Amino acid sequence: MSGAIYGGDEVGALVLDIGHNTVRAGYGGEDSPKLDIPTSIGVWTDSQDDVGEPQYKYNIGLTAIHVKRSGMELTTFLKEGMVENWDMFENLTDYIYKNALGAVPCDHPVLITEPPWVTPPKREQMAELMFEKYKVPALYLGKNAALAAFANGRPTCLVVDSGATHTSAVPVHDGIVLTQAVVKSPVGGDYISAQCRNYLEEKNIDVIPPYMVSSKEITKPDEPASWKIKNCLPKVTDSWHNYMVKEVMQDFQASVLQVSDNLYDEEIVKSMPAIHYEFPNGFHKDFGVERFKIPEPLFNPTTSAKASIQPILGVGPLVTTSVGMCDIDIRPAMYGSVVVTGGNSNIQGFNERLNRDLAAKTPPSMRLKVISATGAVERKFGAWIGGSILSSLGSFQQLWISKQEYDEGGKAIVQAKCP
Amino acid sequence: MASGVTVADICKTTYEEIKKDKKHRYVIFYIRDEKQIDVEVIGKRDEEYEEFLAKLQGGGEGDCRYGLYDFEYMHQCQGTTESSKKQKLFLISWCPETAKVKKKMLYSSSFEALKKALVGVAKFIQANEIADASREVVEEKLRATDRQ
Ligand SMILES: Nc1ncnc2c1ncn2[C@@H]1O[C@H](COP(=O)(O)OP(=O)(O)OP(=O)(O)O)[C@@H](O)[C@H]1O
Ligand SMILES: [Mg+2]
Repeated sequence: MSGAIYGGDEVGALVLDIGHNTVRAGYGGEDSPKLDIPTSIGVWTDSQDDVGEPQYKYNIGLTAIHVKRSGMELTTFLKEGMVENWDMFENLTDYIYKNALGAVPCDHPVLITEPPWVTPPKREQMAELMFEKYKVPALYLGKNAALAAFANGRPTCLVVDSGATHTSAVPVHDGIVLTQAVVKSPVGGDYISAQCRNYLEEKNIDVIPPYMVSSKEITKPDEPASWKIKNCLPKVTDSWHNYMVKEVMQDFQASVLQVSDNLYDEEIVKSMPAIHYEFPNGFHKDFGVERFKIPEPLFNPTTSAKASIQPILGVGPLVTTSVGMCDIDIRPAMYGSVVVTGGNSNIQGFNERLNRDLAAKTPPSMRLKVISATGAVERKFGAWIGGSILSSLGSFQQLWISKQEYDEGGKAIVQAKCP
Repeated sequence: MASGVTVADICKTTYEEIKKDKKHRYVIFYIRDEKQIDVEVIGKRDEEYEEFLAKLQGGGEGDCRYGLYDFEYMHQCQGTTESSKKQKLFLISWCPETAKVKKKMLYSSSFEALKKALVGVAKFIQANEIADASREVVEEKLRATDRQ
C-alpha cells in the first residue's frame, strides 16, 4: 500500500473552493485563500479572424472582467455548483496556476470542494481533468458542507449554506453528507440582489454602475442625482451591464438590508432606524421599512414581490424538512447543532431570525442551537478553511487519490476514496 | 470524510480496562503530533464527575479533547418500586466554540476513528460548550437509550 501513498508532504496543496459568486483558491495550511475571484468570466470573439470556428477569448479575474469591451458577455461555467462548461473552467484553472499563483500543477496535490448534490459523472470528469491534463500528483474531492461542519467543530450537524444562487439544508453525520435528506431552494444572495433591483426600479431609482459615471456633484438626499456619463462608452452587452449593476446591489444589500427578528410586520419595523445609502452616481437617501421588506422572502416566501424565481421554502422550513427526512435517532443532534455558513448568511439578523423560526418548530423534547463562525470572513470561506487545514494534516496524506492509484484504478476511484 | 489520524493501541487497552475490569472511571484522549490519538489522563475509580470535566478541559479554551466515562445511575424498572444500578460508557468529543479552527477541524474529523476503535460504547456525545457535557444532560441521554 505504501507505494500508493502520496508522499510529498513538503509542498502545500492547492485548495479550490468553487462557488457561483467567487472561486476561492490558495495553499493548504494557510489561514485564508490567496484568491477570491469572480466566477463570472468575460467571453468574446475576435471579429478579425472569424473564418471557420469562432475562437473564444476569455477575460478572467476581477480586473479583466471589468474591462469595458464591446460584445464581451459575462457568463459562468457553473451550473448547480457543478462545472458545466469545461473549456471555460480549464481557462480559469490555467489562470489560477499561471497568472495568479505562479504555481506548477504537478508540484501540488489538489483538494477541490463540491456541492452535496454533485453527481458521480461530474466528479469523475474532474478527476480526469486534474490527473490527465494538469498531471497533479494527488487529488481529493471534499463536500463543502462536511468541511464547514468540521471547521465548526462538529462532525455531526445540520449545515445551512446560504450562498449566491441557493440556500441549502445539509445534514452531516460523522463527517458524511446524508445526501438523501439535503433540501435546497434557489433563494440566495443573487435573488436578494434581484429583489433590490426590482424595488429600486419600482421607485424610479436608476442604478448607475461606476463604469458609466465620469463625475458627480453633491446633491441633497432624495434629490435627483447630478452626474455626467463617461464619453465614448463602448457598446457593452446586457450580461456585462447586469453584472455591474449586481455588484452595486451586492454592496447595497450588505450595507442596508436586515432580516426582521419576527415575521415581517410593517408597524414594528417602522420604528427601526433607517440607513443612509449613496449610489455610485451620487443619489442618496434613507432606507427604512424596505431594509426589512426586501430580504423577508428568504424566510417567508409568501411576501415575495415579483422576481424571476419564486422561492419555495423559507430557511426555517428548509431545515425542518431536511431534519424530518433524517433518521429519527439523529434528529436531536441535528437541531442541537445548526451550523450557518455562506456569504448570504452575513446579512444582518439572519441567525436571530432562523433561531426564532426554528424555536417555534423544534419538538419540545429537543434542544435547539444555531451557531456560526464568528467572523464574516470565516462564514464566507468556511469550506475553504476546512479544506486548507485538512489537506495540511500529516495524517491526511494517505487519503489523497495518488496519481498511481488513479492510473491503476481509473476515474471511478473517486467514489471509493472520496465519500 | 476523515483526517486519517489513527488510534494508538494504548487507547483500546485502557478502554478494555474500564469496560471489562472496571479499573478506572474515565480516560481523556488527545491527538499527538496531529497523527495519533493517545491517552492523556486516566481517572481513578472514585473520582467525581467534576474532576472528569476539569480534565476534559485540560487543554484550555483554545483546545479540544475526547473523553470516555463509565457513568452510573439508578434505574427504576417500570411498574415496580425496585431500582437497580446501571453502568454505561459514553464517549464524548469536546470541541469548545472558543477552540482554534485548526483544533476544531483536527478533532472533529478524527472522532470517527476513535468511535470505530472503541467497540461497545453506549452513547456518543458531541459537546461544544460545557453545558452539553453536564451530568444532567449526559444522564438524560443515557436514560433515553434505556427506553428502547
Ligand atoms: N456582508 C454581507 N451581507 C449580505 N450579503 C452578503 C455579505 N457578504 C456576501 N454576501 C452575499 O453572499 C453571496 C456570496 O456568498 P458565497 O461566497 O457563500 O457564495 P458562493 O459560494 O460563491 O455561491 P454558491 O454557494 O451559490 O455557489 C453574494 O450574493 C453576496 O452578495
Ligand atoms: Mg457556496
